Amino acid sequence: MTQDLNVIIVGGGRVGFQTTDILADRGHDITVVERDPEVCDAIADEYVATIIQGDATDPAILEQADVERADVIAGLTASTGVNLAVCLEAKEMNGDDLRTIARVERLGGEEYTRFVDGVVFPERAGARMAANEIIGGDVVSISDVTETLDIMQVRVAEGAPAANKRLSNVNFPTGAIVISDDDGERIAGPETTLDPGKRYVVAVEPDVAEEVMNLLRG
Amino acid sequence: MSSGSHGERKPEAELGLLDATMIGMGAMIGAGIFVLTGLAAEIAGPAAIAVFALNGVVTAFTGLSYAELASAIPKSGGGYAFVREVFDDLSSFLMGWMLWFAYMIAGALYALGFAPNFLELLHVYGFAPAPDQVGAVALPLLDAAVPVSVGLAFTAVLLLVALNAASTAASGSVETIFTLVKVGILVVFVAFGALSPMFSTAEFQPLFPADGGAFAILPAMGLTFIAFEGYDLITTVTEEVENPRENIPKAIFLSLAVTVVVYLAVVTVAVGTLGAQGLAEAGEAGIAQAATEFMPTGLPVIQNGGAIIVFGAVFSTLTALNAVVIASSRVAFSMGREGQLLPSIGQLHHRFGTPFVAILASAVVMLGSVALPTKSAGNMSSLFFLLSFIVVNGAVIRLRRERPDMKRPYEMPYYPVPPILGIVLNLVLTGVLVWYLVRTDPLALALSVGWILLGGLAYLGLNRWRSRGETSDSGPPETTADAVPQEDD
Repeated sequence: MTQDLNVIIVGGGRVGFQTTDILADRGHDITVVERDPEVCDAIADEYVATIIQGDATDPAILEQADVERADVIAGLTASTGVNLAVCLEAKEMNGDDLRTIARVERLGGEEYTRFVDGVVFPERAGARMAANEIIGGDVVSISDVTETLDIMQVRVAEGAPAANKRLSNVNFPTGAIVISDDDGERIAGPETTLDPGKRYVVAVEPDVAEEVMNLLRG
Repeated sequence: MSSGSHGERKPEAELGLLDATMIGMGAMIGAGIFVLTGLAAEIAGPAAIAVFALNGVVTAFTGLSYAELASAIPKSGGGYAFVREVFDDLSSFLMGWMLWFAYMIAGALYALGFAPNFLELLHVYGFAPAPDQVGAVALPLLDAAVPVSVGLAFTAVLLLVALNAASTAASGSVETIFTLVKVGILVVFVAFGALSPMFSTAEFQPLFPADGGAFAILPAMGLTFIAFEGYDLITTVTEEVENPRENIPKAIFLSLAVTVVVYLAVVTVAVGTLGAQGLAEAGEAGIAQAATEFMPTGLPVIQNGGAIIVFGAVFSTLTALNAVVIASSRVAFSMGREGQLLPSIGQLHHRFGTPFVAILASAVVMLGSVALPTKSAGNMSSLFFLLSFIVVNGAVIRLRRERPDMKRPYEMPYYPVPPILGIVLNLVLTGVLVWYLVRTDPLALALSVGWILLGGLAYLGLNRWRSRGETSDSGPPETTADAVPQEDD
């Protein structure tokens, strides 16, 4: 898609604002609906979005966010209930063209996907970043594009079981695959050697993550 | 709210109130005053002074509307972006279409103003005969041989288009220096002019021309309206301005106020020294010619003091031409992004990083319009700016009614008086201008109507093309290219 999206973000708190900031940087048009006047002022100072001040569950307020022309609405307040309500409300106003995203309060909000097109649990992503920082630069989770599959960048440790071995000679558990060759220049193959100190991108299923870490990190 | 946490924001350059004001002044002051003072004097006589003052007042109302919209809608697209937010598809398309044309014709106007002033500069130093002897610009549409000045104007457009197509534009700080140079030169003009013996015997009577009386200033207002176009460019860089919700409205009003003062001083001196009659005869080079009359001669290096002013005119018209090449291509670019023109117009060139197709598309119209008489170009661009300003004022009213809870960091005082006055006054000037065109310049009117009709056709064609494209393929899915966290190693 080459054109910019019209996005409505409900809730301009920390999650809502950071999302707005990232999307605005990428050139999308954002409208934020936020109840708290002080938060509204703060977002206005950043000059990243059009702001409607008011309670988004009130249809008269949500309508002012120009729902008819929106491509996506994301309910990002701290309350799952409010988020679901505004998504359903907007869907009713706009019709089937609108994508709806709701922030949920706990892990495994999959049951909500009956009502909305996507759910996000930002605390989980935050926790992943925190975990990355705690471990240091040796293991970095890259993204969350998959359900539970974790894609991460791992630096092979000196003296780890797989260090200095060719990939064909290392027996990784089922549910794990090494994707990139050293420092991400090419796709890994059987002849790839796992040099200590270099970084490799690996995809792992959660149940074998520990084994893989053991092999690569010792 | 965290303030320094966005490392990926692109235009990080922080422009202060002064820089933003300078951008507005830089866009307004210059070409309009140099090129159009003579033509205004031709229509209105000494009342040309009143023409510029009244236009400043009329524009101030639209300035309030721009300030409110710019504070509430954080987009860098200027007038088109605001209207796009508020109005439906067809209205916003027409607004963009008109504004695009206004900038392109303004480009032709500035190029046409550049040519005689450049010839005058060559003349001062004896490289060329006086401008009026270098092939008079008579009926260029019928004349087979291209007049020298038209050729010069054409070349200027071509050069600046090439420059902007191949590299990204100069930054705001350069703009500040440009503006200071322009204003400085005008201050020199006013100072020497006011002290000259010619000014002490200044004749401002009769203020109004014999035929038409006080109403004669109305068409002159229409013609010179474009001299106040430019403060809206402030809203195209809003993202880069620090504390925009305070500084943008301030910058708009400051630049308007200072510009009005500068214009009044310049026009008063020009009329006072050269006389309305002399100004009218000098046409596009009016200010420059007035200067050569009273500036001291025999100076070191530059020899003739008037050359400074002539240089100012050449410099101003070129920088203004540069500004509208950028502005026109930005309007076309945003329309392309919004799917209101061909998508390729809304794309950056992979090598140059510029809106290449948008610049080329604008260049075609600009180069073609260079063949117009200067006055027609002035009238047409003023007409289209007036029309688009009416829409901007309408957008404020509509937005207030439809989205009362929208956050408006700057709210204009005495709403709804300013936008209503803005609409009424701009409509009056539009009416006068159209009436004037009917009587004196049917070609300009026909071209204007033709452009709007062409817009209607383009809109229909584009919608048909788009609906066909949507049924055949739904477009590739958006690929999310998340940057892999980089670690230094």
